[in-house]
Amino acid sequence: MKIRRLSAAVAVAASGALLFSACTSPAGNDDPAEGESTATSAAADGPCKADLGDVTTADGEIKVSVEDEFLGYNTNTPETYSTYNSAVTERLFGGFWYFGNDGSICTDDEYGTYEATSEDPLQVEYTLNDEAAWSDGTPITYADYLLDWAAQAITEDGKVTDDGSETPLFNHISGLTLGDYVPEGPQADSPDAKSFTYDYERVYADWKIQIGSPFPAHVVAEQAGVSTEELVTAIQDLDLDVLKKAAKFWNEGWLSQPGEVPDPAIAPVSGPYDFKADGWEAGQYITLEANDKYWGTPAATKELTFRFVAADAQIQALANGDLDVIQPNGPTVDTVTQLEQLGDAVTVDTNQNLTWEHLDFNFNSGIFSDSLEAREAFALCVPRQKIVDDLIKPIAPEAVVMDAREVFPFQDNYEATVSESYDGRYDEVDLEAAKEKFAAAGLKEGEKVRIGYAAPNPRRAAEVEAIKSSCDQVGFEIVDSAAPDFFDKDLPNGDYEVALFAWAGSGQIASGENIYSTTGQQNYGGYSDKTVDEAWKTLAGTTDEAVHAEQTVIIEKQLWDTLFGIPLFAHPGVIASSSSLENVRNTAAQSGVLWNSEQWARAS
Amino acid sequence: MSYSDTLIAFPSRRRAASASKGHPVLKFILRRIGASALVLLGASLLVYVLTINSGDPLKDLRESNSQNKQQLIDQRIALMRLDDPWYERYWDWLRGVGGCFTGNCDLGVTVNGVDVLGLTQQAASSTLRLVTVATLLAIVVGIALGILTAIRQYSGFDYSITFSAFLFFSLPVFWAATLLKEFAAIQYNNWIADGHYAPLTIVIVAVVAAFLLQAVLGGTRKRRLLTAAVVFAFVTVVLFVFNALDWWRNPMFGVGGVLVTSLAAGVLVTSLVAGIRNRRALYAALTTAVVGTLSYLVFAQPLFNSPSWLLLAGLFVLAVLVSVGIGAAWGGYARKQAMLITGITGVITSLVVVVDILIVHWSGFLGIKSRPISTIGSQTPNFTGDFWEQVLDKGTQILLPTILLTLVSVASYSRYTRSSMLETLNQDYVRTGRSKGLSEREVIVKHAFRNALIPITTIIAFDFAGIIGGAIITEQVFGWKGMGALFQDGLNAVDPAPVMAFFLVTGIAAVLMNLLADIAYAALDPRIRR
Repeated sequence: MKIRRLSAAVAVAASGALLFSACTSPAGNDDPAEGESTATSAAADGPCKADLGDVTTADGEIKVSVEDEFLGYNTNTPETYSTYNSAVTERLFGGFWYFGNDGSICTDDEYGTYEATSEDPLQVEYTLNDEAAWSDGTPITYADYLLDWAAQAITEDGKVTDDGSETPLFNHISGLTLGDYVPEGPQADSPDAKSFTYDYERVYADWKIQIGSPFPAHVVAEQAGVSTEELVTAIQDLDLDVLKKAAKFWNEGWLSQPGEVPDPAIAPVSGPYDFKADGWEAGQYITLEANDKYWGTPAATKELTFRFVAADAQIQALANGDLDVIQPNGPTVDTVTQLEQLGDAVTVDTNQNLTWEHLDFNFNSGIFSDSLEAREAFALCVPRQKIVDDLIKPIAPEAVVMDAREVFPFQDNYEATVSESYDGRYDEVDLEAAKEKFAAAGLKEGEKVRIGYAAPNPRRAAEVEAIKSSCDQVGFEIVDSAAPDFFDKDLPNGDYEVALFAWAGSGQIASGENIYSTTGQQNYGGYSDKTVDEAWKTLAGTTDEAVHAEQTVIIEKQLWDTLFGIPLFAHPGVIASSSSLENVRNTAAQSGVLWNSEQWARAS
Repeated sequence: MSYSDTLIAFPSRRRAASASKGHPVLKFILRRIGASALVLLGASLLVYVLTINSGDPLKDLRESNSQNKQQLIDQRIALMRLDDPWYERYWDWLRGVGGCFTGNCDLGVTVNGVDVLGLTQQAASSTLRLVTVATLLAIVVGIALGILTAIRQYSGFDYSITFSAFLFFSLPVFWAATLLKEFAAIQYNNWIADGHYAPLTIVIVAVVAAFLLQAVLGGTRKRRLLTAAVVFAFVTVVLFVFNALDWWRNPMFGVGGVLVTSLAAGVLVTSLVAGIRNRRALYAALTTAVVGTLSYLVFAQPLFNSPSWLLLAGLFVLAVLVSVGIGAAWGGYARKQAMLITGITGVITSLVVVVDILIVHWSGFLGIKSRPISTIGSQTPNFTGDFWEQVLDKGTQILLPTILLTLVSVASYSRYTRSSMLETLNQDYVRTGRSKGLSEREVIVKHAFRNALIPITTIIAFDFAGIIGGAIITEQVFGWKGMGALFQDGLNAVDPAPVMAFFLVTGIAAVLMNLLADIAYAALDPRIRR
């Protein structure tokens, strides 16, 4: 699971929120991830948040579990960045977009709108809602976005980044990527403009999720001892004196000591929820209350309390009413059984999420590195259906074997992509065919295959066992080569034939380039294929969604034909909520069940 | 057990007892503190080095697939000073700790940028809250059970306590916690919504109580039967009456209840400490109970209307002083003994008064929190109640972990006490006491029990030091963030600051407790003073 969190980190890094999307508009109307749990909600048939009509905030409190302490208002520093911190802060900040529950990009028109005014060169114009304002009354403006850009563009010595590799001035979790793509920064007429434009230096396929939620520039300016206008000028003129003070506050000023709610004077919010005075008890809980200055649809319930509870204590806490909504991390068959035993008082929903498990070959060395037949022999004996049936379906009955890498079974474009890229040849174990390929590859009986993964991981141990009992009949000798430091040692050193791990949906359309192209940083196995490289280049170099779909098919087909690796399944996820709650919806996205928490309401 | 062997090995110290010069106790304490400080220093170095070498602090980043991975790694290295040699980092940590003596403590920051000093204070107070009551309870119950089982060695009662002691001792904590949450929290909360026992339940409870009590009290078969019958009848009637009064949801105890309970406590304490025939002591105890109840009436106004911890503490001190005064006035020739008796009775009476006030507030509390026993947390989030309802809230939250911790430690205390007690009961001086006609109470309470306590003191001291750091699992399953979490999170992140803070607190606690144990030795065993 380690890698899952990390790639989640990248998603935030790149975008300010978490998730993957390969798809187009949020217009699809079949929604396979949805269960009965949302039957009560109005019009929840798209992947985006349902339109609940007029909402008035009802008194009351909803308690939800997160597994670790809240760390701070600024969740984009290396100190504070964590899934659990984001779970809280995402309620505090509005933004132009968010991920729908199948991973598609949804827009929040109450916050503002954005569109590409030119495709090549790429130019994107953002327009904020005129009413959009921080909870202290200051309007949200261009200045906030300029500071957001500065935090991801300016280097230690006060220059705009050249290639993103310098030491940054601000400790932003995503480094200098934004500055790399938009060296000029957002442009507007005045510091308090509600509309501004980003000029991309080169076309960027993931422009839609590039701009996240900003922090209040007027607070940073005040703390740096200048006015907001002066801060804007300082950023535009790269005035290092002012920038250093601003960066110091940005890096450290928003850190919190557990239990001390951030001062509203330095931590205004732009989302439906705000901190509650005295609402944070160190190690216990933090309570948010509805932001009464919020201009958009208000939160449905006044108070939202996050209790810090380990996964194994959550189910009984839900049964006892100490929690109303839970999403246990790493659910097992036991989790689901226990939840189902709670009966009608609790609504359980399972789904598949955007983290997916796969077997990757080592192309640098070993028996699979230069023999397609050897890889085919292995692929023919891996019991993919059995693995899913035995290990995943008991948790999430809707789980299927995954036949793609860039699209997920619950997404609209999955069928179309798979039908054109994969003919089902590895669906069933075929030992005879595998033996033929085995012989054709010139392999000898008892050929050792080390399957490496990060230990301990009982589920992966069971997967390797299933593979062993099948593939050993072909002539391979499967070795379970689990190690706690697999990612530190065995993977970079190439001490494996097959690597077993999961990628989390990375938040970007073009992020796969890093994994599958010859020079990709995450191409651990050393795979290299001209067609694939070419297709990624085309895909990443355009904003045209038709081209994205077309190139994805090419990539998927080539990855199957040359057998980069074998996709297995999307990880199962489980949420459970008290039956008295309405509008709790599961999501495949990394943002988790809290994604629409401002819509949760207790049935009256 | 081996602890008492050591005592027997030094009988000659007794003679040296009075021949002391200067302040030997002070000198002893100073010497001990000095030695302990050196040990702590050495241990801190060891722990520091072990911690920073316990894993790879960059592990999660090495596995990262982020584009600016190298920048993130550089940031982490700068933040945690991974490029500096270990001795420089250790020295800076030590300097920060040294600052504690001059009033500017600096225990460093965690990898999350949180100040460790504040974090430690929070964690320590949370853990202390969790373990203090449990430890005290475990000591009292464990020692009592140990003595009873030793006196009734090889009886059915002894066997069942021995069996349960081993059972609880070997209980996996997380599993026991799950059971407790299911039955003592979820099921109880379901039940209290209505709050009535079914007739069958009443009968079963009464039978169990009758069986247990006759086993504890013992005696001839006839007497056992009588005990069982009386207990059965009593419990059945009380439970039916409670049902009729809706007592579990609207309980009342009243001044009458307070008076009867504290009188009974007075009689019990007297019979244990001085013997019921000592009329002066008995009257002193009874006077204390009556005065205590009367002062409850006097102070009812502030207790109910403007309670605070300060008021409670003040009244408690007052109660103890007055009780001891009553003992002194009644005492006569055995003044010290009477003061002890009235002191204990006074403390018990104060507790009974508090319990009565809490009982009065129970139904109001149920109105605010319909499911009173929680499975997680040290308090209900955003709980809005008056002072006593807050106390009830924190009390019900702490109930389950306390039961769990108590069960586990009672097991060991009762076993140690039992064996230590058995050993002293076989000593010559006990036989001598019996043969010169001392009552059984005097033999057990004065001669056997006091000597049996000596080895227990060591164990309790060690245990208390250990329990501060040792409640990791209990903390985790009940959602408390205490010292255990501090240590665990620190170690997982290979972050020395919180681990060292944990070490400081537990290390100092161990040293202090050991010192206390030694001083307690001197109080319990005159041979040690010299």
